[in-house]
Amino acid sequence: MDFSTTVAAILSLFIFSFLYRDNPFYKFAEHLLVGVSVGYFLVISIDNVLVPKIADRLLRQNDWSVIVPLLAGALILARLIPKWSRWSQLALAVVIGVGAGVAIPATLQAQILTQMKATMFSFIPPENSIGWLYILERIVILLGLTSVLAYFFFSKEHRGVFGTYARIGTYFLMIFFGATFGYTVMSRLSLLIGRIQFLLGDWLGFLN
Amino acid sequence: MKRQYIYLLILAALTIPLFLPLGLKHQVTDEVEKFYQTIEDLPPGSTVMVSFDFEASTIAETKPLAQAVLRHLFSRRISVVSLSMLAEGTGLGHSFLKEVADEFGRKYGADYVFLGFRPQYQATILGLGEDFAKVFPQDYLRNNLSDLSLTQKVRNYEGISLIISVADGDLPQYWVDYAQTRFQKPVAAAVTAVMATSYYPYLSSGQFSGLVGGLKGAAEYETLLGKAGLGSKGMEAQSLGHLMIIALIIIGNLAHLRTRKKI
Repeated sequence: MDFSTTVAAILSLFIFSFLYRDNPFYKFAEHLLVGVSVGYFLVISIDNVLVPKIADRLLRQNDWSVIVPLLAGALILARLIPKWSRWSQLALAVVIGVGAGVAIPATLQAQILTQMKATMFSFIPPENSIGWLYILERIVILLGLTSVLAYFFFSKEHRGVFGTYARIGTYFLMIFFGATFGYTVMSRLSLLIGRIQFLLGDWLGFLN
Repeated sequence: MKRQYIYLLILAALTIPLFLPLGLKHQVTDEVEKFYQTIEDLPPGSTVMVSFDFEASTIAETKPLAQAVLRHLFSRRISVVSLSMLAEGTGLGHSFLKEVADEFGRKYGADYVFLGFRPQYQATILGLGEDFAKVFPQDYLRNNLSDLSLTQKVRNYEGISLIISVADGDLPQYWVDYAQTRFQKPVAAAVTAVMATSYYPYLSSGQFSGLVGGLKGAAEYETLLGKAGLGSKGMEAQSLGHLMIIALIIIGNLAHLRTRKKI
């Protein structure tokens, strides 16, 4: 049991103490976590980004071209001075413009076109798949997609056949929420198991 | 029932199997099998990019996932170029990579490289497709990429056979958006259970070459590797925990029905 393991174990216990009630030990560990996380992010950012991408290039390689992005980045900080704040919009405009230009075609292709293509109904099962099961899967996907879309179509009143179809969409949504919740419970239990293994195994040495 | 009693019951359900193993077996699902097979199909000597896109809070799930995947890669003599898209994943990713590489006697620089962290995933993912050295002139350990034999050989995605994102958030989606759409690279994901449902459509559409979800996925992967690890050890506790939660839900609902009838 080394010192760092003991510190980590005690801090874990401080956090778990919240299960009984809010207390100063929990508050201390919570604030420490926030502080350490920010500090770590700052150090990693300086060490992995600012030093190799700016300081080294400027001071060791005499690459003055980095002055341009450095100034653009510095412009964002102009928001902190009310008199100069409008200059930050210049840098933000570049970030938003370039970001949107890069993101829109990629997202359209990956999230919409490819996903739509995958839902197209095909009667030809791929190799090594059970034919009728494949077709059933495709029907379920198509039914789920169209009924959920119908549910979120608000320009037409949800009545009659359309209303019934939209209601089918709500059942698909409920199944999705249930599955997501189940996976969330599973994930949270995994985190707790990890801590128990750490406390009983790494710290106290009770587990092999 | 006081909520503290519920916590104690859950704690007991999760702790007992750690001391008294139940001997439960894991059935391997298709998505995990597909992930495994994708790596099996890579010829030895290939290079895979592994991105550690997670934070410290999910280490209980991401560590078994990362270890299982890295063990498979190194056991098949596949080289690994690695990085992190999140600052917190940097130190963790490097330690996991080094630990498994040492287990298999792999050499840094020749068999694996850890590039480090860069913010702005869009620019990073796209930039890596052009030239690793432009985005990461130096690796995490401050070596010039031009001095390492692996990054002399593999300079951009052209030399990468598969991209694997070990993630606790939405980063795998961005690997699909930018690395796959722009550079046609296959992407596979090993994600926390809470994220798994979001990624099944990507598996179904063929955008993911495989999906390993949560501790259960890690345990299945370890079954395929034939070596029990953190995933398998935790799954028995997980199973008993699930049973306890189901029992508590049933008891809670029955109690609720009984009180409603009285009203």
